[in-house]
Amino acid sequence: MKEAQIRWEPVPQKYEQVGGRALIAKLLLDEIPPACDALGPHNKLIFAPGLLGGASVATAGRLSVGAKSPLTRGVKEANAGGTSGDSLGKLGIKAIVVENQPKPKQFCILVLDAESIELISAGDVVGLGTYATADRLQERFGADATVICIGQAGEYLMTGAGISTTGERDQRSNHAARGGLGAVMGSKGLKAVVIRKPVGKAVKMADEALFRAASKAFAQKLITDPKLGTKGSQHLYGTASIVGAVNEMGSLPTRNFSEGKFEHSAELRGEKLRELILAREGKIGTRCMPGCVIACRNLFADEGGKPVVGSIQYETIALVGSNLGLGKLDDVATINYMCNDFGLDTIETGAALGVALEAGLAEFGDIDGIVGLLKQVGEGTVLGRMIGCGASETGRVLGIRRVPTCLGQAMPGYDPRTLKGNGVTYATSPQGADHTAGNAFGARNEVPPLGTEGQKALSLRLQIIAAMLDSTGLCLFARPPIIANPQLMIDMINGIYGWGWTPADYDRFNRDVLRTELEFNRQAGITKNDYKIPEYMREEPLPPHNAVFDVPDADLETIFDTL
Amino acid sequence: MAVDIEIFGQLVHNQPRRQSMEIQGPTIARDLARAVGLDLDEIGLVTIDGVQSGLEDAVRPDSRLCFFPYVSGG
Repeated sequence: MKEAQIRWEPVPQKYEQVGGRALIAKLLLDEIPPACDALGPHNKLIFAPGLLGGASVATAGRLSVGAKSPLTRGVKEANAGGTSGDSLGKLGIKAIVVENQPKPKQFCILVLDAESIELISAGDVVGLGTYATADRLQERFGADATVICIGQAGEYLMTGAGISTTGERDQRSNHAARGGLGAVMGSKGLKAVVIRKPVGKAVKMADEALFRAASKAFAQKLITDPKLGTKGSQHLYGTASIVGAVNEMGSLPTRNFSEGKFEHSAELRGEKLRELILAREGKIGTRCMPGCVIACRNLFADEGGKPVVGSIQYETIALVGSNLGLGKLDDVATINYMCNDFGLDTIETGAALGVALEAGLAEFGDIDGIVGLLKQVGEGTVLGRMIGCGASETGRVLGIRRVPTCLGQAMPGYDPRTLKGNGVTYATSPQGADHTAGNAFGARNEVPPLGTEGQKALSLRLQIIAAMLDSTGLCLFARPPIIANPQLMIDMINGIYGWGWTPADYDRFNRDVLRTELEFNRQAGITKNDYKIPEYMREEPLPPHNAVFDVPDADLETIFDTL
Repeated sequence: MAVDIEIFGQLVHNQPRRQSMEIQGPTIARDLARAVGLDLDEIGLVTIDGVQSGLEDAVRPDSRLCFFPYVSGG
């Protein structure tokens, strides 16, 4: 970006058999100094579809975005739905790697299609939120073009900034939210990437019959899964289907993670979300990616039937709802829209606001006060920049000890004191506190969540699975058929590429992702103490179970011994 | 002595979402699930007083018993 140059490179042989998160990990370890400034010229921002990208596999069109994280100081991959992963896959683009940064700072837009690629001035979209940016760029480049962009938070280099991507038709706000990648994009002077819709482009298959048989069987398994089919919770209620269960188990972050149950949780449940959306003629059970058969997305409307935001997700409900003492979905929708427009991670921002409320900047449950604080993020005031830089930064500035982060990144919607498997993932994953790195909530029948026994092995298994999902472009909800029958994934990959992978190759591929990421973090200077669950969560009992996080350090420090 | 029972998501069909049920003597979650008309195959998660439990686990009087469909975090 220093001289606004673009070059095409063939894929080096060593990167041929990796994609998505796996490719990001290898590129970062090979090509950037791990100890570099995450917002400086030596970091690289990478957009990479998974190995299944563009092949029209159900739920496999996610786009991975990665860089060294300005929040965790380690490796980061975040992924999003929408049409970007599918489009890049169809274009045969393995990755877009953004290097260096412009001096003096200026913002550009990268525009590409099957025949051309160019960098143009961002012009009048600089300073706009993600909604207006996407609208203007689709007016200019076509309503079916994919727009990947940052909002004001990314432009201001706030470390709670994410990256937004559009989806089919007028869909907005699929976010690669975590780890401050929006700030990295801002540091590169890249306001947006526009991908014109590929026409007549398809992924070439090495063995089409093998691929078709496996992908069809995979889609069929998704449709008949009790959680995921058209009668399943995910489709009917979206990710909000778990609000009631997480609250009942005492893991729902409430008032800055000071309680595990929220007295107004019934008003935040998936059941209530569905009831309101249907009554207001919003949308529920829609998809975020082409060909998804789970369709857990929603479009929330206000009392007058006007669309407000899509999609309200569980993590957002937990972090900007109960965590801020807000018991109305309309309030959650307001905060969600603002975060999406500014280009903020709702998890990081919800946690930061929780810390700010504990410091007395507004009252828990005071929607006007919370909106007032959040507005300052978009305005770029000093207070707004503090909140936009996340929970750890906010806690440091305000002198608050109860800061729910691991490796500098805010915890998602599961308190680790009562869902200890997630605590192990937060405290060991090279990605920091990230539910998508290995979420133990769904593994309820294997290891009791309140106990310490078995959490280490469970988390490791889930982290390996998550690495596979993120590297192939699969949505994490699509994991049940692959866990039950990994050969489905092996056959899809072999069908596309003809690599002749065996189960051992597949297992090595998945584990190598974590090995590479851990090595990057080691070289970045991250130590075992940086990963730890905050001290207060080890000492301060969480009502109503009055549990603390007590998985022994010995388990956490040896979790990867068998990787 | 009564048990407070709540049913979540699509498990609710014609029965009330929340009800109180009298129990006499030793009772397990499975018995109460049948008593409120649930299809056992549709139950993915059970909690007793907020603790993840199984259908064979004992339910004490004055407990809170919740039945959930299959759900997963993400």
